[in-house]
Amino acid sequence: MATRVDTIEPIPVPEPERPPTRRVPPQEWARENLFSTWWNSLLTVVFGAALAWALYKVTRFVFFDAQWQIVERNLRNFVVFHFPRGETWRVWAALFVVAGAVGLGAGAAATRREIEVEEGRAPAGGGRFLLVRRAVPLVLLVAVLLAFARSLEATLLVLAAAAVWLVFRLAGRRVPARHARWVAAIVFAALVAAYLTITAFGGVPWDRWGGLLLTVFLAVGGIALSFPLGVLLALGRRSTLPVVRWVCIVYIELIRGVPLITVLFMAAFALGFFLPATWDKPGLITRALVAFVAFTAAYVAEVVRGGLQSVPPGQIEAAQAVGLSPLRTTRLIVLPQALRAVIPGLVGQFISLFKDTSLVFIIGLTEILAVAEIATKQPDFLGQGLIVETLLFVSFIYWAGSYWMSRESQRLEARLGVGYR
Amino acid sequence: MTEATLTADATAARGTGEPMIVMEGVDKWFGDFQALKGVDLVVGKQEVVVVCGPSGSGKSTLIRCINRLEKHDKGRIVVDGIDLSDDVRNIQEIRREVGIVFQQFNLFPHMTVLENITLAPRHVRRWPKAKAREKAMELLERVQIPEQAGKYPGQLSGGQQQRVAIARALAMEPKIMLFDEPTSALDPEMIKEVLDAMVDLAESGMTMIVVTHEMGFARAVCDRIVFMADGEIVEVGPPEHFFENPQEERTKQFLSQIL
Repeated sequence: MATRVDTIEPIPVPEPERPPTRRVPPQEWARENLFSTWWNSLLTVVFGAALAWALYKVTRFVFFDAQWQIVERNLRNFVVFHFPRGETWRVWAALFVVAGAVGLGAGAAATRREIEVEEGRAPAGGGRFLLVRRAVPLVLLVAVLLAFARSLEATLLVLAAAAVWLVFRLAGRRVPARHARWVAAIVFAALVAAYLTITAFGGVPWDRWGGLLLTVFLAVGGIALSFPLGVLLALGRRSTLPVVRWVCIVYIELIRGVPLITVLFMAAFALGFFLPATWDKPGLITRALVAFVAFTAAYVAEVVRGGLQSVPPGQIEAAQAVGLSPLRTTRLIVLPQALRAVIPGLVGQFISLFKDTSLVFIIGLTEILAVAEIATKQPDFLGQGLIVETLLFVSFIYWAGSYWMSRESQRLEARLGVGYR
Repeated sequence: MTEATLTADATAARGTGEPMIVMEGVDKWFGDFQALKGVDLVVGKQEVVVVCGPSGSGKSTLIRCINRLEKHDKGRIVVDGIDLSDDVRNIQEIRREVGIVFQQFNLFPHMTVLENITLAPRHVRRWPKAKAREKAMELLERVQIPEQAGKYPGQLSGGQQQRVAIARALAMEPKIMLFDEPTSALDPEMIKEVLDAMVDLAESGMTMIVVTHEMGFARAVCDRIVFMADGEIVEVGPPEHFFENPQEERTKQFLSQIL
């Protein structure tokens, strides 16, 4: 018998189905993941025991056995080394300027992002406490430094710097998106101002810097200079002019064929031969910076070249077809796409540079690793095997910096990847 | 060879009768492979020409030579009175006059739709931001996606992307539009929206050369069809002629395969 539809009823819309969620109780999770076979159970027990033992040893050393006085009493050496005591205020002042500038930039960036999310161009991501989570490595670092300093003055100054950051961030939030370029200029000017605060007007030239200040200076200066140089080298390597191309290829391949230590030694002891005799010999730190920039630029160039190759030829054709000049095509179309494709590689290179600054101790500079070594030779600590403490402390500083950079790069990637989805 | 088939209306352009694009004896080699063999073609002002033919026959190469995305090796190309030579200024001048739409859209993925369209007017024609923006919105209205202005290309469907690409090319106010298989990369349900935009353009009097296999479009809109094979123009004629009464064996064979 045929069925007849007498009345037109709305077809019931089925509830949208959701992927099945599985809540697994802990015992079951453990059975599935840790004790599924006798072999896995064995591995779990063995590695679990090893892990627990290592954790116990480290915790015990860090909190009970370690002689942290060596770090406490040398904290100033670790941070600025032989920086004149009377001029320490300059470092604090510079810190305040940097805090303000970074706050302003971060605030303006947050506003811009908010607009993008509102207009549906970017996913609302991040979640709660993003700001806090992003800062974890740095906050941890500052907390450890302050714990060793045990100084009310330093703590208050750090809190004041944090307050300056917050105030400028709130100010930055109110900057309209169309003025983003001005904010970038102000931030850059402020960084220069921070540098001048330390060096100018009877200050301390960078050749007398040491400790963490020197490490950060070499890393930031090295990154800021090697990045543009590396991009130029990468572009030069793809140039249609044979002379430019060959100069770039020879430079890149020469530098990449030589260990960093060799480049450092060359800069420290042989740079004089390459400069006109009438020039003043640049200071040791300048020469170290030149070495880092020259070395890192060659690697950055190769990373960027990979990015340039990943830009489809159709992009360049489209830019040419609407009449863009080759220079504009590179600047507006090719480079933005190439660079975002190689963010992980670039940041990896910069993290390497940050850690490689420790090598300058072999040419006689005193950054944090050198301080770690020197401190153990002081009369009070000589022959007590305290290098473990100082090395652990320095390692922690390197880790905090590297991990922070790595996380920021992941964030940047996620943020810039929007257009591709 | 070609002379036999270059009938009277092959070289005499239609449209308003004034020649817009003149190609004389154009050769193009890719290494040892000859992609174009002595191509002669005149396209008149406001004429719409469809180029079709089997793959590898040189259709894309033909139109890419017109705005120097490919450099022809021999022969002469004149676009709106400008001789296409190696002079960079000449090339830039021609590229301002000629818009092109690609099979793969080639939108700039790191820019919003609006930025894609305003980029060239602002940097090449040096328009102020407001004017470029106004023009862009007008063009987006014309291709019927003004609401997508703030999005990135990756957030649009293929058909929408191709319409943005058309708007981007039109933003430079070109006198000639080239289309390189504009619907071949699209899902079937999106082809019509792109063809509609192209029909609208043709009706507004734009000079167009369209490489396509959309024979419906050819029949309805174009003034002449150019059939190419192995780098040569085999047959040229108005669509009714071309479909009802093809002269050449290769044309008949091609039509029997696609219709």
